Amino acid sequence: MRRRILTTTALLAGSALLLSACAPSAASGDGAEEGDEVTLKVWSWRTEDVEAYNRIFDVFEEQHPNITVEFEAFQNTEYNQILTTGLAGSDGPDVPMVRAYGQLQPNIEAGQLEPIDDKVEGLDEFAPSVIAGAKGKADGKTYAVPLATQTLQMFYNKAIFDEHGLEVPTTWDEFIEVNEKLLAAGVTPMALGAKDDWILPIFSDIIGSARYGGSEFEEKVLAGETDFTDPDYVAALQLVSDVQKYLTPDVVGVSYTDSQIQFTSGQAAQFPGGSFEIATFRNQAPDLEFGSYQVPVPDGAVLDAPVSPAYADGNFAVNTKSKHQDEAFELLNWFATPEFGQLVADELNQFSAIPGVEYEDEVMKEAWANYEEGQAPYLLLVDFRYGEPLGTAVLGAEVQKMFLGQTDAAAAAAALQAGISQWFTPGE
Amino acid sequence: MSAITTPRARRGTARSGITLSRRAGMVFVLPALVLFSIFIAYPLLTALSYSFFDWTGIVRGGFVGLENYVTLFTQLPYRDDLPNAFVHNLLLFVGAMVFQNTIGLGLATLLHRIRRFKRFFQTMYTLPYLVSPLVIGYLWSLMLSPLFGPVNAVLRAIGLGELAQPWLGNPQTAIWVVVVVTAWQWIGFPVLLYGAALGGIPEEIDEAASIDGATAWQRFRAITLPMLLPAIGTVSVLTFIGAMEAFPIPYALGGSQGNPAGATDVMSLLFYRTAFESGSSNAIGTSSAIATLLFLFIFGFSMLITWYMRRAERKLF
Repeated sequence: MRRRILTTTALLAGSALLLSACAPSAASGDGAEEGDEVTLKVWSWRTEDVEAYNRIFDVFEEQHPNITVEFEAFQNTEYNQILTTGLAGSDGPDVPMVRAYGQLQPNIEAGQLEPIDDKVEGLDEFAPSVIAGAKGKADGKTYAVPLATQTLQMFYNKAIFDEHGLEVPTTWDEFIEVNEKLLAAGVTPMALGAKDDWILPIFSDIIGSARYGGSEFEEKVLAGETDFTDPDYVAALQLVSDVQKYLTPDVVGVSYTDSQIQFTSGQAAQFPGGSFEIATFRNQAPDLEFGSYQVPVPDGAVLDAPVSPAYADGNFAVNTKSKHQDEAFELLNWFATPEFGQLVADELNQFSAIPGVEYEDEVMKEAWANYEEGQAPYLLLVDFRYGEPLGTAVLGAEVQKMFLGQTDAAAAAAALQAGISQWFTPGE
Repeated sequence: MSAITTPRARRGTARSGITLSRRAGMVFVLPALVLFSIFIAYPLLTALSYSFFDWTGIVRGGFVGLENYVTLFTQLPYRDDLPNAFVHNLLLFVGAMVFQNTIGLGLATLLHRIRRFKRFFQTMYTLPYLVSPLVIGYLWSLMLSPLFGPVNAVLRAIGLGELAQPWLGNPQTAIWVVVVVTAWQWIGFPVLLYGAALGGIPEEIDEAASIDGATAWQRFRAITLPMLLPAIGTVSVLTFIGAMEAFPIPYALGGSQGNPAGATDVMSLLFYRTAFESGSSNAIGTSSAIATLLFLFIFGFSMLITWYMRRAERKLF
């Protein structure tokens, strides 16, 4: 009898464990459908923007009383896996925020996103290099509405410039002179976190895009008329090596976050970086007076005017498995309107991908005006992240080696070409 | 008759607690077995099977045999990254072994001798081992920062300014920083294990040897060390596994790319990059191949160490 009870208990304990192991993870219903009421699930990696997005979606919900938008944000670094799992299952988002360019391709190739070409109006308003970030490489169809644009430029500390009687440089000679004066005055001219390799291709394009020819070079490289061993591209990398003396000594030991502190604490006068820094600088140092400029054109440059390299950052797409396709497309159409673009600018402090948006923030206004005057693609991100190894990863490591004196501009360019030709065939 | 009754009688007398039938026993083992199968055996086997297929995102394509493995040895960036990362793993293992079997064993021997403060010191040495390796990694990367780090500041303050350098920015020093920080964090582990093993050695043997006139060093060489061999074997295998799977400290010190210029790259980082950061369509295929290779190597080599240590022990006793 005793044994019998024991066996039963053991069986019960075992099955309880089993049950708990097999239980589905918190089954959340996909919006109770009462009448025409629909709840759309929107996923994003912008955990810092949840409140702002809720305010943005309040505007949408007012105009579309039958739709409720449920915004969920996940850790940026884990988002790709979370999204891949979500899109594969039945419990995923209706409208996910997705990455741009090469990082978007796995989702498209897996057939997880709806093509949107004829279903969303206003797609032709976007700049070609921006909408390229939402297209499938293989079929050329558009799969998402671009959200934001990031521009790359040189930020400078206005107080330090005033203190040393410096002006924003308009020629390459003036640019060198500004840096020399800062160096002589004992101020680190530029803060760069070269220990984190991803910032280095950004730095290279800020310094050298005009030298190698920006979008002109892009066309030629994509068509196969030239490659990265082109003398102009090597010369652009040489500029990066030339300005190393204006960076912190031992720059390869400095991390990206260290370099931000260097700039916001006034230890360094300039910071080559993306427009995504503006919000960070405002948070870290609310009193910091800063502006931005495009690095002037050096002698022998292909372009005769300076440029801001830029890229699309983030898209919104429609999950193929969404049960509310109509409503999801309604939301996507709204994402392509200037009204939403303006909300992105005002609420998120980002450059909207939609043209004709006004910016309140002085620094943003200035950076955007510069970008409108001289545009270029952030080449390695826009065009060379469609295969392994990523163009940005190769150049990042090569520039580190260049700073360490282990390689030179020509060899770095050759290594970049060798890495990319692994998967890139011109003209495809 | 007695032959039949004896076991019964024994069973009767031994029945102070509970006796389970085979079936009931199985039921108790079942939960652990199921959990093990779901969380260890199943993923292991799926990773193995994944590595033989071509992938498009998370959609499985055709069977490609060993192609993913061939890719690892013939194509960039794997062709360069794999040997580079692998050598760093071996360095981590060798470095950890050297630290643990010299300093670790030395500390354990010293601690074994003292009576007072023994617990205190044991706790102190073990403390870093209890802190998350990610925290340790970020802490050291702050300490070694060329801009704000106290390490260089102290060196300059005591007149050793020439030694101050960008520890994590220079490829020659960066990997050694990883090795030393890893060893520093783990040192408490051999101290504890060796300490326990030392406590298990009968004092009489040592006493007898010292009466026979053996010096302290002779006693250590001829008695303590051989009797520690099982513990050394255990520490070696665990250190080997730890070094081959190293991830948090290299990640905190050098990021997922193993900065600078791949100088702190290790196998787990390569796997992580390939699986989660490459954006390559076939990420699952290639990364599963890396994981499988790494597993096979760790498994094979651990067996080898265990076998070797067992043989050495058998010779002794």
